[in-house]
Amino acid sequence: MTLFVQQLANGLALGGIYCLAAIGLTLVFGVLGFPNLAHGALYMLGAYLTFFFLTDFGLPYVVAILAAAVVLALLGVVLERLVFHPLRNKPHTHHMIATVGVMFFLVALVQEIWGTGFLRMESPVDGQVSVLGAQVSWQRIIIIVTAVAVLLLLTWFLKRSPHGQAIEAIEQDRIGAALVGINPSMVSMVTFAVSLALVAIAAGLVAPINLLSPGMGDALGLTVFAIIILGGLGSLPGAIVGGFAIAIAEVMASTYISVAAGEAAIFVILIAVLAIKPTGIFGAVAQR
Amino acid sequence: MTNRLTTRTYRTVAALAGVGMLAAVAACGGSGDSDGGTIVIGYSAGLSGGAAEYGVNVQNGLKMAIDEANEAGVEIDGTTYTVELESLDDQYQPGTTGTNVQRLVEKEGAAVVFIPHAGGIKAAQELNSGRTEFLIGAYSSDPAILDSGNELTVMIPPSFDSYVQPFIDKVMTKPNAKLGLMATSSEFGQEWTKATIEKWEAAGGEVLAKNNIDYGTVSDFAGPVAKTLAGKPDVILVGGPSQPTALLIEEAREQGFDGAFLIIDQAKFEELEEFTDPENLNNSVGIMPLPLYEGTEQFIADYQEKFSSDKPVNADIALNYQALPIFLEAMKIAKSVDDPKAIRDAMPEAVKAVEGVFFVPDSITDKGHLQAKGLQAAYRNAQGEYEPFDIEQPQE
Repeated sequence: MTLFVQQLANGLALGGIYCLAAIGLTLVFGVLGFPNLAHGALYMLGAYLTFFFLTDFGLPYVVAILAAAVVLALLGVVLERLVFHPLRNKPHTHHMIATVGVMFFLVALVQEIWGTGFLRMESPVDGQVSVLGAQVSWQRIIIIVTAVAVLLLLTWFLKRSPHGQAIEAIEQDRIGAALVGINPSMVSMVTFAVSLALVAIAAGLVAPINLLSPGMGDALGLTVFAIIILGGLGSLPGAIVGGFAIAIAEVMASTYISVAAGEAAIFVILIAVLAIKPTGIFGAVAQR
Repeated sequence: MTNRLTTRTYRTVAALAGVGMLAAVAACGGSGDSDGGTIVIGYSAGLSGGAAEYGVNVQNGLKMAIDEANEAGVEIDGTTYTVELESLDDQYQPGTTGTNVQRLVEKEGAAVVFIPHAGGIKAAQELNSGRTEFLIGAYSSDPAILDSGNELTVMIPPSFDSYVQPFIDKVMTKPNAKLGLMATSSEFGQEWTKATIEKWEAAGGEVLAKNNIDYGTVSDFAGPVAKTLAGKPDVILVGGPSQPTALLIEEAREQGFDGAFLIIDQAKFEELEEFTDPENLNNSVGIMPLPLYEGTEQFIADYQEKFSSDKPVNADIALNYQALPIFLEAMKIAKSVDDPKAIRDAMPEAVKAVEGVFFVPDSITDKGHLQAKGLQAAYRNAQGEYEPFDIEQPQE
């Protein structure tokens, strides 16, 4: 029982990280219609920026994460203007290739500035609490709480604020949205900004329990793609449910079967869901 | 019309510039060759991406040795040579190592190639005694690289086989102690795990489920650690690159593990200390930190000054630093800079003539393993003090 509670807490924390990263990816897909293959690299950059603001500027932990999120949001706008906007009338293959270029650029940039080695970000909150006999560190509780708070804020943003509603409108019907006067360029920029801010928050949260290295985004990138395919490409609830489902399946399979099974669990679930419902759990997006 | 003309002019100029540049490059290459005074030492390792630090450490050790050799002057059979290190990145992918090695040997003319990972060494062993011949400076403690019987391989570090039994003797405090397995899932980590399981069981201990994980890709160690601790181990086998190993050890201590860690030789105490509260490392056995060996102080200071680094200087750096001069000495004795067989044959004599930092080789086995006396390991006790102890090395 203690082991189960312990692993459930670990699974929820991991799920929070997956969710935040997956939502950013699925938003860009829903609005712009192409997968952002640089998402893992942007996550890595978010972690390095948090580290930078925390250690070099001495900002408090939460402020450092927010600062990293703001920088990445601005970077999102710049990327959209500089790289993706000029490609807007081209086939989506061009966008995908451009995202690969962005990925290589970011990895090389980080290697140049911070070097190729590992960096350790000290956990700002030490210690752990005992929950039903399990030892859960405060950092993991912070991750779970922050993830839920950010998800609530995001839902409010998308459902209530004009910019968020514009994003949803474009997702649902691009031409219809343009007809009622929604500016697609503006929406693209906002989407990129929100997507990158979310991935920066995910990275900032995970940084204290993991090591920073230029390759840290690779493994996450793959998992996050599995999550949004599972949840349905472009679907927000899909990313949330998929994120937690995959994380808990990964942790539980590695606990009760074997560590190798944990790594395989992600893809077993993915195959099973796609066999029954090829568009993913919440997949309403038609083939583009 | 004007527009078209401009484009054509532009293209012509560009083409001419391109040809000119090629010619210049070719000329440079030509003049370099005609000097005839360059010895290229090849090096293929992971120099970017995760775990690049290890590759860079070894590279720096080699660089330092080469710079010192050039300063002192390298004269072989009456000709003065400049030694150069040619490094290529393989991200620890054996397939890429193979490609790199071909290029280093055939294009750059390297007769000696250093490779610091078991997979890459095995890939290179397939290539070094066929169409092309070259000597491998093999830096891996996996004994399998000697078992293949490759005549042009020189194994630099002590084999990890030497460590397993003494390490078990240190941490196995009761006859039926339970061993948890959490070493990295690389080929090297698996070999270590296999050897430890065998000897642990032979000593009457119990071995728990295998929880080897990829230290490079796991986002959170908490899950695998909780699973391992659920088996109530007395000792846990850990180790991979030092930095993630430190994190894993910390996680295990936080979840309440108070037993001992048996740390594989890839992870180094002096680096672990940098990444976690050193107290977490108490009650662990691992290879001896370099600063604890006598006479390493000067080397460590020189290294840190040369590379303006404040990172710990470890055995990987020192062992490669002192191995390189042996190869140069062998070239002198063989009076050849490009015959790998002659260089290898001169090794037994060369190894006696070269000085080093610590654990200095004084002989080489027929299989090509550099041998030195005085190998030690360290147990970090409950008070956080290192207790060095001697390691007996198996004789071939």
